[in-house]
Amino acid sequence: MKRILVIDDAATVRLYHRGILESAGFEVSEAVNGLEALERVVEGPFDLYLVDINMPKLDGYGFLRELRAKDIPQAPAIMVSTEAEDNDQRLAYACGANLYLIKPTKPAQLLAHVQTLLGARQPS
Amino acid sequence: MGLKKSHDAPTASEDERRLPRDLPGLLTALADDDPLARRWAARDLAQYPESSRALVERLSIETEPSVTAVILTSLTLIGDEIAVAGLTECLRSEDAMLRNAAIEAMKQLPDEVAPWMGRLLEDLDPDVRIFAVDVLESLRHPQVEDWLIRVITQDAHVNVCATAVDLLGEVGSERAKPALLALKQRFADEPYIQFAADLALKRISAG
Repeated sequence: MKRILVIDDAATVRLYHRGILESAGFEVSEAVNGLEALERVVEGPFDLYLVDINMPKLDGYGFLRELRAKDIPQAPAIMVSTEAEDNDQRLAYACGANLYLIKPTKPAQLLAHVQTLLGARQPS
Repeated sequence: MGLKKSHDAPTASEDERRLPRDLPGLLTALADDDPLARRWAARDLAQYPESSRALVERLSIETEPSVTAVILTSLTLIGDEIAVAGLTECLRSEDAMLRNAAIEAMKQLPDEVAPWMGRLLEDLDPDVRIFAVDVLESLRHPQVEDWLIRVITQDAHVNVCATAVDLLGEVGSERAKPALLALKQRFADEPYIQFAADLALKRISAG
């Protein structure tokens, strides 16, 4: 089963994304900020990361920079943010994001992107 | 023979604080090329409320994260109108680390930040409104629920409302229910709003 780490300081957002991903058969873990996410990564690898930008202690950009600098097998990361400006997207990609989605996500849209990045077959 | 510490030998901290520790000396050190000198200056300036403007000005150009962190702590300790205004300006920064640190600092100043909240929640930039709601999260101010109800009733931006709903699920009372139901109607085709509002309504009902 593919493992996804959802990183967001808002409990409701984590719960929402967890529900969507679990309903599609993924195993989901959560972290409330980038620092906690790095601790989860040390415990075991993930197949995909769903990362918010604005979080206390370590924001999403900082998390991705540190993750990408690690000498570990790398997995794709989707940055999900309320920030809709081009600059935010550019910075996200520069930090190592593979995709940038603007909140709020719609379940079908999120799942389609997750499945594409994980190389899963799309439902016909 | 045991080693004897010389009283004349300067300690590391004395060396780092080589300029006079009065207000003019500290303000000079705040512009020093050495980040260590700036950090000590920023820390010691917390004793001088009249330095808040200089600290805010330094914050806007400071590039060393450890100095920025100390400036934010000193501004939080001073907490005057200039300091709070400086912190609110950080919400517009492109630097996510600075924005989040300013949000955390503002949470420590409920009474000082409260007079700014009405204006921040009506800012033209939706990102600033979202950050203002984030500040409300720990503000522990009696008006928090009223502010949140006003946001989900009046704000046109889905993500500002989404952030407010998230918090209403934690601090909301029965008073918030009509606004939450109205929000569901206003954003009927947004699954996240439906999910978050339903969750908030459930939490409020559970007490």
